[in-house]
Amino acid sequence: MAPKKDPRAPIKKAEPAAAPAAAPAPAPAPAPAPKARPVDLSAVKAFGLFDRVGDNKVAYNQIADIMRALGQNPTNKDVNKLLGSPSAEEMANKRVTFEGFLPMLQTIINSPNKAGYEDYVEGLRVFDKEGNGTVMGAELRIVLSTLGEKLNEAEIDALMAGQEDENGCINYEAFVKHIMSV
Amino acid sequence: MSDADKYLYGDRSGMSNPLAQADWASKKQVWVPSERLGFEAGSVKEELGEECVVELSDSGKKVKINKDDIQKMNPPKFNKVEDMAELTCLNEASVLHNLKERYYSGLIYTYSGLFCVVVNPYKFLPIYSEEIINMYKGKKRHEMPPHIYAITDTAYRSMMQDVCFLCANLSSGESGAGKTENTKKVIQYLAYVASSFKSKKDQGSTALSHGELEKQLLQANPILEAFGNAKTVKNDNSSRFGKFIRINFDVNGYIVGANIETYLLEKSRAIRQAKEERSFHIFYYMLSGAGDKLRSELCLEDYSKYRFLSNGNVTIPGQQDKDMFSETMEAFQIMSIPEEERIGLLKVVSAVLQLGNMTFKKERHSDQASMPDDTAAQKVSHLLGINVTDFTRAILSPRIKVGRDYVQKAQTQEQAEFAVEALAKASYERMFRWLVMRINKALDKTKRQGASFIGILDIAGFEIFELNSFEQLCINYTNEKLQQLFNHTMFILEQEEYQREGIDWSFIDFGLDLQPCIDLIEKHSGPPGILSLLDEECWFPKATDKSFVEKVVQEQGTHPKFQKPKKLKDDADFCIIHYAGKVDYKADAWLMKNMDPLNECVATLLNQSTDKFTADLWRDVDRIVGLDKVAGMSDSMHGAFKSRKGMFRTVGQLYKEQLGNLMATLRNTNPNFVRCIIPNHEKKAGKLEPHLVLDQLRCNGVLEGIRICRQGFPNRIVFQEFRQRYEILTPNAIPKGFMDGKQACVLMIKALELDPNLYRIGQSKVFFRAGVLAHLEEERDMKITDVIICFQAWCRGYVARKAFAKRQQQLMAMKVIQRNLAAYLKLRNWQWWRLFTKVKPLLQVTRQEEEMVAKDEELQKVKERQLQAEEQLQQYETKQQQLNAEKLALQEQLQAETELCAEAEEMRARLASKKQELEEILHDFEARLEEEEDRVGQLHIPTSGASGQIWRERTAEAGDG
Repeated sequence: MAPKKDPRAPIKKAEPAAAPAAAPAPAPAPAPAPKARPVDLSAVKAFGLFDRVGDNKVAYNQIADIMRALGQNPTNKDVNKLLGSPSAEEMANKRVTFEGFLPMLQTIINSPNKAGYEDYVEGLRVFDKEGNGTVMGAELRIVLSTLGEKLNEAEIDALMAGQEDENGCINYEAFVKHIMSV
Repeated sequence: MSDADKYLYGDRSGMSNPLAQADWASKKQVWVPSERLGFEAGSVKEELGEECVVELSDSGKKVKINKDDIQKMNPPKFNKVEDMAELTCLNEASVLHNLKERYYSGLIYTYSGLFCVVVNPYKFLPIYSEEIINMYKGKKRHEMPPHIYAITDTAYRSMMQDVCFLCANLSSGESGAGKTENTKKVIQYLAYVASSFKSKKDQGSTALSHGELEKQLLQANPILEAFGNAKTVKNDNSSRFGKFIRINFDVNGYIVGANIETYLLEKSRAIRQAKEERSFHIFYYMLSGAGDKLRSELCLEDYSKYRFLSNGNVTIPGQQDKDMFSETMEAFQIMSIPEEERIGLLKVVSAVLQLGNMTFKKERHSDQASMPDDTAAQKVSHLLGINVTDFTRAILSPRIKVGRDYVQKAQTQEQAEFAVEALAKASYERMFRWLVMRINKALDKTKRQGASFIGILDIAGFEIFELNSFEQLCINYTNEKLQQLFNHTMFILEQEEYQREGIDWSFIDFGLDLQPCIDLIEKHSGPPGILSLLDEECWFPKATDKSFVEKVVQEQGTHPKFQKPKKLKDDADFCIIHYAGKVDYKADAWLMKNMDPLNECVATLLNQSTDKFTADLWRDVDRIVGLDKVAGMSDSMHGAFKSRKGMFRTVGQLYKEQLGNLMATLRNTNPNFVRCIIPNHEKKAGKLEPHLVLDQLRCNGVLEGIRICRQGFPNRIVFQEFRQRYEILTPNAIPKGFMDGKQACVLMIKALELDPNLYRIGQSKVFFRAGVLAHLEEERDMKITDVIICFQAWCRGYVARKAFAKRQQQLMAMKVIQRNLAAYLKLRNWQWWRLFTKVKPLLQVTRQEEEMVAKDEELQKVKERQLQAEEQLQQYETKQQQLNAEKLALQEQLQAETELCAEAEEMRARLASKKQELEEILHDFEARLEEEEDRVGQLHIPTSGASGQIWRERTAEAGDG
């Protein structure tokens, strides 16, 4: 059993980049609100998880997802603005370090999504044709995939899995709760 | 049913399609004027001061357009709306678009505020059946999709509610737009609704005669059409006259009679037709339908022989003139018009044709006309019952009064020809008028006036040609008047609605807008209007059309609705700015048309005709303007006609009076307006030419109506709907829980911070100025989009976090795998490990034992279960045996019972026979008893005989004693 302890070292190799990066992280942390602190720790981990190359950086197009993984809900527009409206190519190729990422995350945290549960329910009520608290799943798919910042099919499939009842209807209050629960 | 539904309700699913909605909101869609399509959809890309860059939706082309030329597009919520007054962006483009979309979906009826707009479908639609009539019966207008029946029912109801209320259904539109068809539908509806009541309520003696009246009412149309309709380029069955049908009802709402008045018959058609057009139907019906006997009686000839049928025999596809003739004759029968009158009518028709065949020649030495061949004249004389010599003389050299004397004045060839043509026209017109009078007589069943009536006006709309003549002036004048009525009605109704809703707002009476133009035409004096000037000019000796124009310019030159032509002089003589647009008039032959002169001598001859019918037609000869009067103008004869002033009336005067009466009637009614629109000139179904339709919309006042609408608060929404749709815009304005609709709306509007001038809150609805709703709709869309975007962000967060969680799990798993792998790599060369790997397969043995144990256990379990099962089986078997035994016992018992029963039966039989025997014995004994009794009786008789004898002897002894 003893030898098992040893292998840990090589495994850590995937993370060492994050480890040193973590060190400067607490440095800027004290400046903003103290509540940001718990974020930082997980941020370090999350950031590391998204680094596929191993250069301690992540691609621009991953930034939004990291923020989301960290519990934020920025719109694509918010993130785009934050990144200075990069082109599609830049999105794929440009990379940012954790130090660069952290202030961005902070900005998003400081300007959270204004709308809340009530707003979403009201918004979806618009599509409630019968006024019985449900909308057609198919309709919701269309709404989410054609309006605003369109979601793709895979995203919608992930969202809607198991939400439709036997008639293909979705209770949108429950749906919104479900989405906002994670 | 479902088929009809398609043509009534249509498919409005696009209305709430969020996609279309989003498209509209995001693209800022607008209408851009287009040469080809009237308007094209586009979206504003950029705004540069006065101009806009618009990308056309279809072609993707970008065009620069002045901002004023752009018209806003309605939100998709308003797609194919049933009432265009609801449109929030009220503009030409949107109206056209809506009509077009509806038309392409087979929906031909659309409301536009007070109007009902109908586009000729050019095909049969299954929406006129009795079923549909029943669907519309008694329904309110907004309950059902637009239909002529809905309008008719509204008229009928309002007539019923208020006994003295009168209704008129006004349809006007271009030739071929479907006015007459819709008029017929109205009559069909009324005939059905107003008589079906009857058959239900009192099936008494009157029921039958009423049924007949309705039949006659429906039959009046084919007759009028035969004589008054013709094929034109635009329309195979074009009415060449206007009519006002008045259907009278009694207090119970049953039809009690009808009356038809006709206007402006195009009588010139009887003598001349344009290319590819026909004269009045009756000519063709008669020529192909009359039998041999009738042909000779009417002196009929072949089509090609008649000069007045310019194009010979033109046939109408899908119509057999021959059949139509017999149908018309049948209609006469139903109308109970007797044989001799029918023949009389046809004789006049034939005579009109014959008149055309009279030819004149100029005499060699003088200007005088002569008639080398008088066959035609003979036929005419025969048909009309006049003397041929008198007739010829009256045409060639009529007697004319000069001063106090009569002189014979020879006519030139032109004069003679003109006289004959005038005579033909007049004959036809008189015959037509007589026919209408006769139909009215047939339809007028009651002596007394009905309690109320529904009037149906079927008259042509504005006519604007390159150059327009007297006829156009009359029809445009009529329309000007009708439009005034419409504007005034709209004013009244709007005001009522505002009052009902308790809204303070002053509506402008746009009826007054039209007064100047009407004055320009009809004013009697100071300065006199065009019609008066024309009449005046007719009295002047040397007057010509030109002098008339000069006078008009002199008197009315400064009138705001009057314009002198700016173009070359011979193009037009003057223009009138009608509300439908500027109309160029050419005053050629107006004096002649206004006086409508006739050869007096011939008229007198006809008046004295031996044919009763003809004489009847020409009863009122003294009202005629003599030909010589007109001739006098060019011949500079000294004002001879002044002597007859006041005896006759001009066409203009008569028409003005007729129209005046009509308007007086209409003004007392509750009018409903139907506007018919012709979609294309090719008589093709499913095709709509945008410019043609736009022109008509402009001419028939639909767009004008919209303009007026825009002055008020055209968009009205009931509180409930307003709240439901726009509550999203005012998230916290309304407190939770129940709230009164009006209160909620007040709060919402307050929260919306609208300019108070943009809305009014009534008793049940919120009123908005045009365009406000579009704005709200836009905001609503933006709001929804905003919310959706935020929600999508949450959704993305949800998905990302799920994915992240998964990845973390994967990371964990990866770590475990890596750890184990690393351990293995380390251990690989460790001797103990190697030993372990060697030994490990052997370890399998111990494991086998373990397995055996497990298997044994399993076996044991299975065995137990087996045992249990067997036990159970046994139990069941014994149970079965028991039951079987029981069953056997029961069977035995049954057997025993049966035997017992048999025994008992036997016993019973035996007892019965015994009883029989005993009864027999009893009988015997009874017989013997009887015998014995008899014997006892007999023994008694001798004893009684003996005693009787003793008694007799005793009495005898007493007698002796």
